[in-house]
Amino acid sequence: MSSSSHHTTRVFEPKPSQPAPVTAAGPIAWLRNNLFAGPLNSITTLVIVAFFLWAIPPLLDWLLWSADFSGTTQQDCTSSGACWVFIQAWSQQLFYGSFPDTEIWRINLTLVLLALVLSSPYWLPHHLRNRLDLALLVIFPFVAIAILDGRILGLEYVSTDFWGGFSLNLLLASASIILGMPLGFLWALGRRSNMPMARSISVILIEFFRGVPVLALFFMGSVMLPLFFPEGTNVDKLLRVWIVLTLFMAGYMAEVYRGGFQAIPNGQYEASAALGLSYWQTTLLVILPQVIKVSMPNILATSIMLFKNTTFLLIIGIFEVLSTAQTALTNSNWLGGYATEAYLFVGVVYWICCFGMSRVAANIEKKLDTSHQS
Amino acid sequence: MSAVKRPEGSKSAPAFYNNPNVRAVFYQLLLVATLGYLVFLIIANTLANMEARGIKTGFDFLTTTAGFDILMSLIPYDATDTYLRTFFVGLLNTILVSAVGIVLATMVGFIMGVAHFSKNWLVTRLAVAYVETFRNIPLLLQIFFWYFAVLAALPSARNSMSLGEAVFLNVRGLYLPAPVEEAGATVFYIAVAVAIAAIIWLHRYAKKRQDDEGVQLPVWRLSLGILIALPALASVIGGAPFSFEYPELRGFNFRGGITVIPELMALALALTVYTGAFIAEAVRAGIQAVPHGQTEAARSIGLKESKIMKLIIVPQAMRVIVPLLNSEYQSLVKNSTLATAIGYPDLFTVFVGTSLNQTGQAIEIVFMTLAVYFAVNMTISLCMNLFNRRVSLVERK
Amino acid sequence: MKKLASILTATLALGISTTATAGTLEDVKKRGTLSCGVSTGLAGFSQKDEKGQWSGMDVDVCRAVAAAVLGDASKVSYKPLTAKERFTALQSGEVDVLSRNTTWTHTRDTSLGLNFAGVNYYDGQGFMVSKKIGVKSALELNGAAVCIQAGTTTELNLADYFRANDMEYTAVTFDTSDQTRAGFESGRCDVLTSDQSQLYAIRIGLKNPSDAVVLPEVISKEPLGPVVRQGDDAWFNIVKWSLAALIEAEYLGVTSANAEQMAKSGSPEQQRLLGTTGDSGEKMGLSKDWAKNIVMQVGNYGEIFERNVGMSSPLQIARGLNAQWNKGGILYSNPIR
Repeated sequence: MSSSSHHTTRVFEPKPSQPAPVTAAGPIAWLRNNLFAGPLNSITTLVIVAFFLWAIPPLLDWLLWSADFSGTTQQDCTSSGACWVFIQAWSQQLFYGSFPDTEIWRINLTLVLLALVLSSPYWLPHHLRNRLDLALLVIFPFVAIAILDGRILGLEYVSTDFWGGFSLNLLLASASIILGMPLGFLWALGRRSNMPMARSISVILIEFFRGVPVLALFFMGSVMLPLFFPEGTNVDKLLRVWIVLTLFMAGYMAEVYRGGFQAIPNGQYEASAALGLSYWQTTLLVILPQVIKVSMPNILATSIMLFKNTTFLLIIGIFEVLSTAQTALTNSNWLGGYATEAYLFVGVVYWICCFGMSRVAANIEKKLDTSHQS
Repeated sequence: MSAVKRPEGSKSAPAFYNNPNVRAVFYQLLLVATLGYLVFLIIANTLANMEARGIKTGFDFLTTTAGFDILMSLIPYDATDTYLRTFFVGLLNTILVSAVGIVLATMVGFIMGVAHFSKNWLVTRLAVAYVETFRNIPLLLQIFFWYFAVLAALPSARNSMSLGEAVFLNVRGLYLPAPVEEAGATVFYIAVAVAIAAIIWLHRYAKKRQDDEGVQLPVWRLSLGILIALPALASVIGGAPFSFEYPELRGFNFRGGITVIPELMALALALTVYTGAFIAEAVRAGIQAVPHGQTEAARSIGLKESKIMKLIIVPQAMRVIVPLLNSEYQSLVKNSTLATAIGYPDLFTVFVGTSLNQTGQAIEIVFMTLAVYFAVNMTISLCMNLFNRRVSLVERK
Repeated sequence: MKKLASILTATLALGISTTATAGTLEDVKKRGTLSCGVSTGLAGFSQKDEKGQWSGMDVDVCRAVAAAVLGDASKVSYKPLTAKERFTALQSGEVDVLSRNTTWTHTRDTSLGLNFAGVNYYDGQGFMVSKKIGVKSALELNGAAVCIQAGTTTELNLADYFRANDMEYTAVTFDTSDQTRAGFESGRCDVLTSDQSQLYAIRIGLKNPSDAVVLPEVISKEPLGPVVRQGDDAWFNIVKWSLAALIEAEYLGVTSANAEQMAKSGSPEQQRLLGTTGDSGEKMGLSKDWAKNIVMQVGNYGEIFERNVGMSSPLQIARGLNAQWNKGGILYSNPIR
C-alpha cells in the first residue's frame, strides 16, 4: 500500500518485545500454574510423583530388566522377573487357537477381509459405496465361516474344535455386531410401530436381552439351547454362542437406535410422506442413515462392550484367548504359575484394541458434533 | 405411520388389501402365528428331549437338602439346609456386593469425573489415564488381577497387618470387631432416631429460612453435631450401648468379629474400579454439557470456586448424568455374576453353579435366576427414574 | 438374490449336524471321526499343548476307541466341555463318548440316561497342606480354611467328612486347578482338597513343591471312567471293551513295541487279543485287528499311565490302586475271548 508513496514517513517501530517473565511463560510458569498452584495442589503433585517413583522401578525390573525373553520351555525361565518365554511358546495358540499350521493363512485372510470390509467406506468408489457397503458387511460373517470351515470352498475341513484364540474373539465379536445391528434396528422399529403386537413383542425381546446378565445368556446357550432343538439335531456350540451374542447385541443396539430415533425431527417424516415415499423407503433411505450417524458413538461403545464380553466365554469352555491362557496355565509342562504374565498379556492386547476403537469413536463424535459449543 | 386420508370423491374405494389397517392386522397375525409356532416347537422339543433323557422337572428339588457348604452367608446356613435356602444365601450375597459396588463406584466415579477438571495437570492426566485404562480392559481380567495379584500378596494369617489389635488384614480377609448389644443399646437407638428426626426438621427449617430470608445456615455441620452429640449423650446416661467382640487368632484362623472375605473385596474392588471409570466418563460428559456461561455467570456474582461446582455445575450436570448412572448400575449388577470366576458365593455361583451341577435342573434354575436379575434391575431402574424426576424438576419450565 | 440366500443358509447349516438313529457306530464310521468330550484342561488327563495337540489319560481313551472303530487313533475331534455342560453334550449327541474325569456314581448312572463303560482311573479325594503348619493327619484340620476346586462330588465329600468328624471348616471354592493352586500358595487357605491325581499336579506347580505334603487320608472313592448314552448297547460294548483291551494288553504283556511280533508268535491269549485268532472284532461290528490297532497306536494301559501321569511324566504318580490286580492294584479286565 505504501510502496508507491514518495515521501518518507516515520513509522512507529515498537521495541522488540521482552521475553515474558519466567513466572508467566515457559516451563517454570507451566509447572507453577499446573502443578504447584497452591499448597493443596503442590502436596497432591508430590504424592503422585512419589507414588510413581516408588512403583515404577520394581515394575520395570520385573517386566524387562530381569525377565526371560528367549527359550522354548519352562526350564528357560530362570531369573526372578517375568517369563515371557511362556507367552512366546503359546503365542500361536493364544492368537490362532489350534488351527492347523498349514491353514492359518485362512484366519489371516479372514482378518484382512474384515479390515477391508470395515474400511470400505474409505476406498470404495463413491457411486458404489451406498449400494455395496451394507451388503459387504452383512455377507462378511458368512464368507468368514465359509473360509474358516472350508467345506463349501473345497478347502480342507477345519471343525470348530480347532478355532480359538484372540482371532476367535475378534471374529465372533464382529460377526455378532454385524448381524446384531440390523436385527436391533428391526426391534427398534417394532418398538416404535403402531401395531400393538409387534410393539409388545419387540419390547419383551429388547428388555429381556438387556436386563439379563450375559453370562446367564451364555449358560442358556450352552446348557439349555440343546434342549430346544429336535432330538438328534446338533447345533455347533460356537454357532449357539454366536446366536446368543447376536441377540444380546440386538437388544443393546435397539436401545441405542431408540436414542437415535428421538433425535430425528418430525419434519423428516413429513417431508418423506410429502414426497410419496413408502414406509420402508422412508425408513431405509431417510431415517436409517440419520439414525446411524447420530448413534455412531454409542454403536461403537456398545461394540467395545461386546468385544470385551467375549472373554466371558471362558466360563462355558470355549477356547477364546483368556481360556486358552488358562489352559496353558494348567498344562503339566508349564506348571510354574505364570498367571500374571498371561493375564497381563491378554490385558494389554485387549487394551490396545479397545482403546483404538474408543479413539475412533471419539473422533467420529467430534466430527459429528456440529453444534455450537464453546 | 398413520394412514393417509384419501381425498373425497375418488372414484373407486381402494382394494381392502391395500387398506393399511387391514394390512397391519394381517402382518401382526402373521407375526404372532410364526412366533407362536416357534415357541410351541421349542416347548415340544424341550419336553420330548427331557422325557427321552429322563430329566426331572418341577420345583421339588428346592425342598431337598443341598449338602454343600457356602463360604459366606448373611443368613444362618449349613450343609443340611435346602436348595431354596442356597437360593436366598446367593441372592443376599449378590445384593450385598452390588450395593457396595454401586456406592463405591459412584464415589470413585464422581471424584474422578470432577478430577478431570482439576487445575493440577497431573491430576487431570491421572483421571484420563484411569478412565482409559480400566474402561478398555475386560472386567474378568480385572477381577483376576485384584484377586490373584493384589489381594493374594497380603501377608498370611500369622503375620497379619493390624490396627490396634482390633482390625486385622491378611490374605484370608479383613477382620473387624463385631458390636454386641449391651444394656444401654435401647436408649442409644432411641437417641439415634431422635437425632435423625431432628436433622430432617433442621433441613426443612434451613430451606425455609433460605427461601424466605436468604440466610444460609451451616446445615451439614449442625447435622453432624446432632448426630454425634445426641447418641453420645445417651451413652453417657444409659451406659455403654455396645461392647466389641474382637477377632482373635485361634488355631488356623481368626475367630470372632466380622470377616470380610477377600473374594468379596476383590469383586467389589473390580466392580468399583471398572464401573467407576464409566461413571467418571458420564460425570465428565455431564459437566461438559453445562454451558461455560454458567461458570462465568457464577463467578461474576462472586461465588467461590468451590461453591460453583457444588451449587451451579453439578446440579445441572445431574440431568445428563442420572440416566447414564441408571444403565451403569444395572450393568454393575449384571457384571457381578462374574463372581463365579473367583468363587464369591453370589446367586450365580451358588445357584446356577453348584446347585445346577448337583440337581441338573437347568431350566428351572436358569429361569429363577434370570427372573431375579430382571427384578433387581427393574427396581434400580424404577428408583433411578424417580430420582431423575426430582433432578429434572430443577429445570425451569 | 435367491442364490445368495441359499449360500447364506448353507454356511449356517455347516454348524448343524443331525445324527441318524441308525446307531452311534454307523454315525461315527460315516463321519470318519469320533467326537469325544474331554476336560478343558486337567494336567495329565486332558490337556492341550503349545501345538494344539491333546494328550492325557482321558484323551487316550478317546484315541483307543477311535483306533478300534476307525483304525486310526488320530481321527478324534475333541470337544472341551465344562463340568456343567458335559452330560447335556452327551445326551444331545454332541459327543459320542464322554471321557472327562467323571466319577461313576449311582445317581449319574441311573437318573441321567447314561452308562459308565468302565473305570480308567481309580482316584480318591485327598488333602494337601503346607509343611509349616505341622499337620500330620486330616483329623487335625478343625477350623481350617479349605481350598476346593469346584467340582461336583468334591464339595459334597468335603462337607460329609468334616461333619462326620465333627469339625468346622471354611470352604473357599475356585474354578480351575490353577486358581486353586494360586489360592493355596498365597495362603488363602490352610488345606487344599482335590482328587489325589490333581493334588500331585498342583503340588509340582507350586513355587516350592517340597513345602507341601499330601496327607495320608483319602476321604472318598472316585472311580473315573468314560460314559456313553443309554440305549445304544452296541456302542456301549465297543467303548467298554476298548477300555478293557487296554488293561488286558498290559496284563498279557503286549505293548505298542511288541504287538506286531506277538500277533504272529505270542501265546494263544495274546493272539486272540490281537485278532490273529478268534472273532472278537466281528462280534462288535469292528475289524478283526481292533485291539491290535489300539495297542499299536495308543499303547497298553501301563504305557498310557506312565506317559501321562506316571514316573516319566511331570506328575510322578505311583500306580497304587491303578496297578494290575496281580501287582497289588485293582485293575482287572474281563477276559477277551
